[in-house]
Amino acid sequence: MGRVKAKGIIPGFGISMGITVSMLSLIVLIPLISVFLNMRGMTFAEFWHVITDKQLVSAYKISLGCSALAASINAVFGVLLAWILTRYQFPGRRLLDGFIELPFALPTAVAGIALTTLYSDKGWVGSLFARAGIKISYTPAGITIAMIFIGIPFVVRSVQPVLEKIDPKCEEAAAMLGAGKSRTFFKVILPEIFPAALTGFGLAFARSIGEYGSVVFIAGNIPYKTQIAPVLIVSKLEQFNYAAATSIALIMILFAFILLFGLNLIQARIVARSGGGE
Amino acid sequence: MEKAVKGALIAAGAAFIFIMLILPLATVIVYAFRQGLETFWQAVSEPYTLKALQLTLLTTVIALIVNTVFGIAASWAITRYHFKGRGLLTTLIDIPFSISPVIAGLTFILVFGRIGWAYPFLQAHDIKIVFAVPGIVLATIFVTFPFVSREMIPLMQSRGTDEEEAAALMGASWFTIYRKITFPHIKWSLLYGIILCTARAMGEFGAVSVVSGHLRGKTNTLPLHVEILFNEFHLTQAFAVSGILVVIAVIVLIVRNIVEYKLEKGDER
Amino acid sequence: MYVELKSIYKYFGDFKASDDVSFSIEKGKLVGLLGPSGSGKTTILRMIAGLEAPDSGDIFVDGKRINGIPAAKRGIGFVFQNYALFRYMNVFDNIAFGLEIQKRDKKYIRSRVGEMISLIGLTGLEKRFPYQLSGGQKQRVAFARALAPNPQLLMLDEPFAAIDAKVRKELRSWLRETIAKVGITSIFVTHDQDEAIEVADEIIITNLGKVIQSGSPAEIYQNPRAPFVARFIGESAEIENYSVFKGFFPVDGFERAFIRPEFVGLFELGTAQYANSAEEGIVEDVFFRGGEMELRVNVKGIRVISRRSPAELEMQVGEKVSVIVYRLYLFNDSEVKLVENEGLIDREPVFI
Repeated sequence: MGRVKAKGIIPGFGISMGITVSMLSLIVLIPLISVFLNMRGMTFAEFWHVITDKQLVSAYKISLGCSALAASINAVFGVLLAWILTRYQFPGRRLLDGFIELPFALPTAVAGIALTTLYSDKGWVGSLFARAGIKISYTPAGITIAMIFIGIPFVVRSVQPVLEKIDPKCEEAAAMLGAGKSRTFFKVILPEIFPAALTGFGLAFARSIGEYGSVVFIAGNIPYKTQIAPVLIVSKLEQFNYAAATSIALIMILFAFILLFGLNLIQARIVARSGGGE
Repeated sequence: MEKAVKGALIAAGAAFIFIMLILPLATVIVYAFRQGLETFWQAVSEPYTLKALQLTLLTTVIALIVNTVFGIAASWAITRYHFKGRGLLTTLIDIPFSISPVIAGLTFILVFGRIGWAYPFLQAHDIKIVFAVPGIVLATIFVTFPFVSREMIPLMQSRGTDEEEAAALMGASWFTIYRKITFPHIKWSLLYGIILCTARAMGEFGAVSVVSGHLRGKTNTLPLHVEILFNEFHLTQAFAVSGILVVIAVIVLIVRNIVEYKLEKGDER
Repeated sequence: MYVELKSIYKYFGDFKASDDVSFSIEKGKLVGLLGPSGSGKTTILRMIAGLEAPDSGDIFVDGKRINGIPAAKRGIGFVFQNYALFRYMNVFDNIAFGLEIQKRDKKYIRSRVGEMISLIGLTGLEKRFPYQLSGGQKQRVAFARALAPNPQLLMLDEPFAAIDAKVRKELRSWLRETIAKVGITSIFVTHDQDEAIEVADEIIITNLGKVIQSGSPAEIYQNPRAPFVARFIGESAEIENYSVFKGFFPVDGFERAFIRPEFVGLFELGTAQYANSAEEGIVEDVFFRGGEMELRVNVKGIRVISRRSPAELEMQVGEKVSVIVYRLYLFNDSEVKLVENEGLIDREPVFI
């Protein structure tokens, strides 16, 4: 039926709303608006000049490329992990499940120095590759690995609940109709978990682009080679070049919003097509 | 055939987790102790480390209090009432999640720093925010802002408002309703939100790095201290200090699993 | 009148939830608000309880206008559709909640809750939590919780909707008896006509935000005053050329008619009492319904439904039978008119 009146009869509307809106404004909204305010002294031509600087463009490319690659790898392994965690029983399953959240729990700087050390020429893994002449730390490969690290939980935790909810009768019905296991997976299960996997992909992607702590050490900050956008903001700030720092920030914020908005749009389509989801 | 597929999938998943998550964690622990317990202890009990730990704890406690108050208020307002702009409000609360921590730090520099609009006022009253403790606290609150509310909103949403409405109809006050009806349901999520918030607040690096100014013994938090040690090639010390943070991370993981178990059990009701 | 609503209007955006709603309820009555979903019945209940505020109009309880009084102060007990039992409190604490809010002393609370628990027949289950109770038991606890603070009015929102069919029947008569025992004026909302007819002393029928008709169940069943009521209550089929039946003549302004199973009598060919009024029909379908047989009979191209006791002689599909139509509800867009078969009315005064 219709909409219930705002206040209803449950007490506490005024105070909870007041606290929410005022804290949100003070801590998040007003500071964020300042980013835009700071741009007002700048003409568009100047802005354009700043953001199309060669060094910046290469930083966007590295950021986007590595993030996209890392999020894709995470999408594949995230679905795989969600699958084995929900469908199979094996010793150590709970432990494995518990480890998924490690990237959320471990401080990014600690992860950063650990990954850098692990994949450096002398590290446990890096030394294996070094023998084959492959360098990982201080190359885009290292950046990608750090981004994979921080993105793992997003896809797994998006897909897992959906897999748990899929009615096993659907799979049984497919099996009864003679569909093989792999066919059942691609025709019945994959379409169901696709929206969730996409959400996870998007979140991992967005997080990777913005990530600083775990990437900065392994990236090494070599201009045109391993300099990513957030690190560039920091170096511009260290040079007191506020205009450049703010411009890059603005581009990144815009990109994050476009990404999330686009994902929502795709998702709405998928849900609409499958007849309202649930 | 099916068994082989199952085995292969589990092996692939386990290998991925081993290489991507367990090896880095093992690296921290092994490197922290590789020069013996004594070196570890020295690095951990060094005055700069203790100072950094102090600042980290202070920052974390403040962020925790602020975000818990916010989380309780926001989850209540968003899930207990219908009003225009509810969706927008939910989206706005999540902004800190979709923004790079570096940008979070930058915003505070643009408000309170030398070019910020609040700078003349701060200057006149001799208040320092950027490159000082208040800036670190603010940046930490910013990046952990949605943590508590985010854990509670879905749970409260899915449970509906019936019970609160029934209690309100009988004349119960907000506090009574929250204490006796809402809180027993969300307490584990609230705890998990608080734990996540703690972990992130203690470990925050990007935002804090931008606003801190890196003043040793003054504006250094533990993660910043780790960075300095690492960049000065004090590898063992860097990992030893990291060890403190790893302990916290492990506690977070354990609590998360307990909470998950409790929530599953709570589903019966 | 104990409860009175006067010209209540309520909009949700463009949606008219209440459109000039007025009715009154006597003290001690058990009243059913009956209507299809979206008819505005729940809104009426929620406005009386104070969970919603009307846009205009007055609500009186016991002679006092209660519009401005907050819900919690109206002295109304409310049983929610899904019970809304407090999940983290046991049966005792659930029932005691309202009394604790009123800060009654412990001794009184204990005795009052005990009284309630024995009223609902759940003695011994005080320490159970809601998830350990069956649907019917939850319903009883919700009822006791609403009743414990001694409200002057009890409201029940779709009280049987969440209970399975078998228990529902049992609970209906239990609720009716218990409310009679307590003697509290009660209003319940339902979309189920059987429920309303069986439980209520009085039924108020709503549609599209308006009150269509109110009265005792028998009155409503026998004398529907609007086509909506005739269609909604009881089982009825719509027919058009009602004057093809013997004994019925066209009435100006009434093009169509409703026919109910109990309006149709079936007899073996040649045995009908009033042979002159009987039509010949062919049995098209026979359904066994447990306590009775339902037959579909084609009479002059019109399909009518009738019921027979299984104890009577069986009729076969394809069999020719005598059919007598006793009465019909003629209707147009706004009115319903009951007409009897004129062939059955005593012969003497027939005026055409």
